[in-house]
Amino acid sequence: MPGSQDMFDAIVMEGYEEGSSLGMIEGRQYGMLHGAKIGSEIGCYQGFAFAWRCLLHGWATEKDSKEMKVLESLIGMIQKFPYDDPTYDKLHEDLDRIRGKFKQLCSLLNIQPDFKISAEGSRLSS
Amino acid sequence: MSWLRAASLVQGPGEERDVFDEEADESVLVQREWRSHMQRRVKEGYRDGIEAGKAVTLQQGFNQGYKEGAEVIMNYGQLRGTLSALLSWCHLHDNSSALISKINNLLDAVGQCEEYVLRHLKSITPQPHVVDLLDSIQDMDLCHTAPAEEKIDEAKDDRFYENNAEFNKNCSKNLSGVDCSSLKYCRTQERAHSENPSLTWILEQTASLVKQLGVSVDILRHLKQL
Repeated sequence: MPGSQDMFDAIVMEGYEEGSSLGMIEGRQYGMLHGAKIGSEIGCYQGFAFAWRCLLHGWATEKDSKEMKVLESLIGMIQKFPYDDPTYDKLHEDLDRIRGKFKQLCSLLNIQPDFKISAEGSRLSS
Repeated sequence: MSWLRAASLVQGPGEERDVFDEEADESVLVQREWRSHMQRRVKEGYRDGIEAGKAVTLQQGFNQGYKEGAEVIMNYGQLRGTLSALLSWCHLHDNSSALISKINNLLDAVGQCEEYVLRHLKSITPQPHVVDLLDSIQDMDLCHTAPAEEKIDEAKDDRFYENNAEFNKNCSKNLSGVDCSSLKYCRTQERAHSENPSLTWILEQTASLVKQLGVSVDILRHLKQL
């Protein structure tokens, strides 16, 4: 049957095009969810740290106090973290370090990190 | 075509004479065999094509979506963090429970904004036009696979509208007791890239809270990108 192979190839190609656009859409949906979870958590730590830096300055605490050191360390870690890159090879390692530093900060400030602060509090992680 | 010869040779033990007696029947049988064979090949080929195409772009799409999601939600996370800091400040200084419950309400509102923004972002993806593809397959007079994916997309759209209504309901529930005049903003649907009006309200409330606490407004400086 002449042309039946061409016709068959055309059908496979149409499937391929369909699959390509489906892959982009599906991938994007999953990616967005995961990216938002990370962005929400990291953003929260960052906002928290910036705000507390302001609050501590306002109360004339010694600049080299333990709280300020840990605070600046946390801010530094967050700013270096490529939060929008899912292929970052040290993603989980750095994330764990940031979480640990945040917990340390809370304990120094005598704060219970309640559910709204930590990642579990973000609705996006449900 | 060896399979054509093979197809005509396939026969039951008692049918030998029947198949070769009438040439007209044989060609109809052969045609039917050919058609069902082609239909199977086409279905499988199309499915294989889809799988191959998906495998290529899934990671690409994931990376793109990840970046978009992280960047958009980051700002809301920062707002949540700032409010959490103010909340913990209040707890440490034994501030009035009215202020504490106000902050908690604002935190809930930010959480809801995050969900809303994320859903809106997901829903603005243009859907593929499978209908056009089906028309061309139909013209070839071959059977086509029903696009299960199209049905899933519709379900996603439905969930978006469902959750949007839920968001509006929750918005009014959680913000009762506080200034409700801007609640009507919660009910409007807007395009993803325009500013979320209820966010403006949250920021205003946060600013007035900061003044009430006697804290410097500098504390909100890092939120200016909102």
